[in-house]
Amino acid sequence: MGKETIGEFEEVVMLTVAVLYKEAYGITIKEEMEKHLKRGVNLGAMRIALKRLESKGFLKSEFGEVTAVRGGKRKRYYEVTPQGKKVLEQVMETRKQLWKSIPSVAFDFKFG
Amino acid sequence: MNKIVHIKPPQKLLRFFRWFCDPDLVEDLEGDLIELFEERAGSSISRAKTLFIRDILFMFRPGIIKNFEGHKNLNNYGMLKNYLKSAWRNLMKYKGFSTINILSLSIGMAACMVIFLFIKDERSFDAFHEKKDTIYRLCEVQSFPGTNTQNVALSMPGMGPTMTAEFPEIENFTRFRSFGEQLIEVGDQRIMIENISSADSSFLSIFDFPFISGDRNTALNNPYDAIISKETALKLFNQMDVLGETFTINGDQCKITGVIENVPENSHLQFNILLSIRISTQDNPGFDNQFGSNFLNTYFVLNENADLDAMSKRYPDYLSSHIQRDDDINEFYKLFLQPLPDVHLASTDIEHDYNNHRKFNGTYIDIFILIGIFILIIASLNFMNLTTARASNRAKEVGVRKAIGAVKGQLFNQFIVESILLATLALVFAIFLAFISLPLLNNLIDRQFGIVTLFSNLEIVMVIIGATLLLGVLAGLYPSLYLSSFRPVIVLKGFKSYEKKSYFRSSLIVIQFSLALGMIVSTLVVLQQLNFMKNKDIGFGKDHILLVQMRGEAGEKYEQMKQALLGESNILGVTASGQRLGSNFHQWGFKVRKDTGIVSLTPSNVFVDHDYLDVYDIKLLSGRTFSKDFETDDGNAYIINKAFADELGFENPVGKRAAHAWYPDDSLGTIIGVTENFNFNSLHYKVNTLSMVVHTDWGYSEMSIKINGENITQSIQDVERIYNQFVTDYPIRYEFLDDHMQQLYESDQQMGSVITIIAVLSIFIGCMGLFGLASISIQRRIKEVGIRKVMGASTMELLTILSKNFALMILIAFVLATPLTFLFLSGWLDNFAYRIEINPLIFFVGGLLALVIALATISFHVVRAANANPIKSLKYE
Repeated sequence: MGKETIGEFEEVVMLTVAVLYKEAYGITIKEEMEKHLKRGVNLGAMRIALKRLESKGFLKSEFGEVTAVRGGKRKRYYEVTPQGKKVLEQVMETRKQLWKSIPSVAFDFKFG
Repeated sequence: MNKIVHIKPPQKLLRFFRWFCDPDLVEDLEGDLIELFEERAGSSISRAKTLFIRDILFMFRPGIIKNFEGHKNLNNYGMLKNYLKSAWRNLMKYKGFSTINILSLSIGMAACMVIFLFIKDERSFDAFHEKKDTIYRLCEVQSFPGTNTQNVALSMPGMGPTMTAEFPEIENFTRFRSFGEQLIEVGDQRIMIENISSADSSFLSIFDFPFISGDRNTALNNPYDAIISKETALKLFNQMDVLGETFTINGDQCKITGVIENVPENSHLQFNILLSIRISTQDNPGFDNQFGSNFLNTYFVLNENADLDAMSKRYPDYLSSHIQRDDDINEFYKLFLQPLPDVHLASTDIEHDYNNHRKFNGTYIDIFILIGIFILIIASLNFMNLTTARASNRAKEVGVRKAIGAVKGQLFNQFIVESILLATLALVFAIFLAFISLPLLNNLIDRQFGIVTLFSNLEIVMVIIGATLLLGVLAGLYPSLYLSSFRPVIVLKGFKSYEKKSYFRSSLIVIQFSLALGMIVSTLVVLQQLNFMKNKDIGFGKDHILLVQMRGEAGEKYEQMKQALLGESNILGVTASGQRLGSNFHQWGFKVRKDTGIVSLTPSNVFVDHDYLDVYDIKLLSGRTFSKDFETDDGNAYIINKAFADELGFENPVGKRAAHAWYPDDSLGTIIGVTENFNFNSLHYKVNTLSMVVHTDWGYSEMSIKINGENITQSIQDVERIYNQFVTDYPIRYEFLDDHMQQLYESDQQMGSVITIIAVLSIFIGCMGLFGLASISIQRRIKEVGIRKVMGASTMELLTILSKNFALMILIAFVLATPLTFLFLSGWLDNFAYRIEINPLIFFVGGLLALVIALATISFHVVRAANANPIKSLKYE
């Protein structure tokens, strides 16, 4: 039940937010993710992930300026918090550890 | 990136989105949606729209949907309290209308509850068997030459085992053979026990009659094994621990191997003692391969993917391989399987159906459901009508509420809540009504309904609550829409401008009266048909005939007993027969010599005593009755009925040579008489062909004693005294023939009672509504009445003017209801072989009745208004 854990989808969302830096809001996050994941991302699903990450304290958000496009609605920009960064690093660390522990024979496939 | 185009996305969808979306998210999510839309619209607008719909639908998920709890709820609760309070005050303020509203709704609901109990009871038949969906009863269609085609529930002893062996679809079989009432001896005790039957040992694995003690897997394995019901165990042994005890039946000593719970009322099979069917094979080793005679019931368990149609194609080959005859057996018999639930509810066309406890005509269930719906509609229409008609009373309230900021939706909610409150009150009252009326009803239709059944399981309770809420909403829908649509400026200024004729309200009254009229006419026709059956001349005298069973000594000493009985002044006639009138006689083979040779036929047959026709007042058309003066009349003389005479085709059948099928062709007897047709079966069936014969040495099963109708008690005492004088081995058992005949129409009679009650109720409910409406409409025209009176109109003239509208509506209802009711009733009457024709006059009688009842209701108000002092009504103008 660790509050510190995040799922795979959440990880990608956070990474994308970090990649986009100051430009991370709904549509850009969705498009960036689709670009990297090479599959469609549902706006609703993504929004729920963002909301959850924010409530865990890994992301923070604020409204931007009103613009003429998008029906005059403000954009909500996201940013990774230091806490979020820590979690991301932890996840990466775990993966690295795992990669290191793989015995060389495990991936010793013979072809042809 | 595509060019950004500024096109507005579908606003309706956005509104829907805003409605469900969490307010915290709504702004930026909406922005995202619009941005996506605008971007996509750059390439294709229609595609963008489709994707937009998809996006919004995908948004509809937890996490995004707004939280409906919290502060909003608190507010609603407060308003709800306020709604209930104002509803209650309003209820109390207009007590008369509240009573009419609630009472009519609760009578309707109570009627529905009773109907529900009735249907539930009928549907529960045989439902307690776990294998109920795969159990089938083997039935036959018999079409013998010279007989009406009959569906019978009977089958031959050999069919169960051989069909199970030859049809892979059949997993198991059991046969059920009824012995009726028998004398049971335990030690030196001798007790008559009803419903004694025998069955294959598989019976207990097919049907789930619960065991109290004993092993159901082995209980009927041996020829003299018997299982016994709890009640019978107590009757015979005064205890329930009777495993291994023995009793004697017909000279056979049987051992009790199981005690079961009493067979429930809702089982079509009834037995108190169940013997092993091997008691039959013991005496008759060929029993399991016996064909030809039908006398028991066979049940099969089919495997789940059995195809009944495919099976039925193989029946003809099956029959011809087992029953060898000169002619084709398939011309006489067709087999069919009847699913277990149909045995109780869909066996009305089945004759010789001896093991079918409380058989019921299942089509009546649909009629009852229909009636239940009708009566609820009538009650709801009342509610709608009265509430809308009284709108002026609430108009000010609506105006004030709107003026201080209530929106239409809130007012709508308020009136719906009020309507639900009324429906709930009606429910409480309905339960009370049902509770007090059930004992009466149980008495009338011979059931044991209890109000507790309504609360027996959560599901029913939920259905009742759900139905009440739904009724509240449905009945409140129109009035709520109507009331909440008032414009504050108009209603606060004074309601006058709103008072116009409402066609909607008028059409509600028309519907209501069409339904009530339909019910009045249906009731009249149903009662007429029942009365017709009751009084139809069935061709023999059935009054004051006492049927006395003849067993053992009674059979041996019949002649002496008869002479002694005839010596009594109260006894008008004594005769005897092999079977009882009223439930169809068995069909036997019969042959007749025609010019072309011997012809074989299979009419119904009964053997009787010489004076049978005299005692039963059966009229002869030609020939003579049986007489002791002719020695050959005992076994060689036949009296046939008109139907059979017609079937034979002789110009004059008297004197023709004829006999039972087993008589050699060269020693036939003679047809000595032809009787009028009389209904020896129930009136659901046409008169079958019949041959009667005297066989004094065959052992009659029943004595028919015609007694003096003026002195019934004394007559019965005389019969008992003389019986006991001659017979010591069996106690006297008797029944009145008309009681027995009555049972044949029990299902119809009960249907008649229920329909009458409900028709009266629905008319009552309809009139309550009319009463309320009349009072409203007259109140509204009270000034007009006052003016007319001042100008010199008489009470009669006022009555005509004021009730003209209502009379017109009833007329329209009459025109609407007549054809539909006629169609419905014709369909129902087709169930009967002997039916009345619907007299068109009955519609006028029904219409007139409705009109009179309605006008009487209305005139109560009219007369009061007309007699009132006009000063009162005109004072304030």
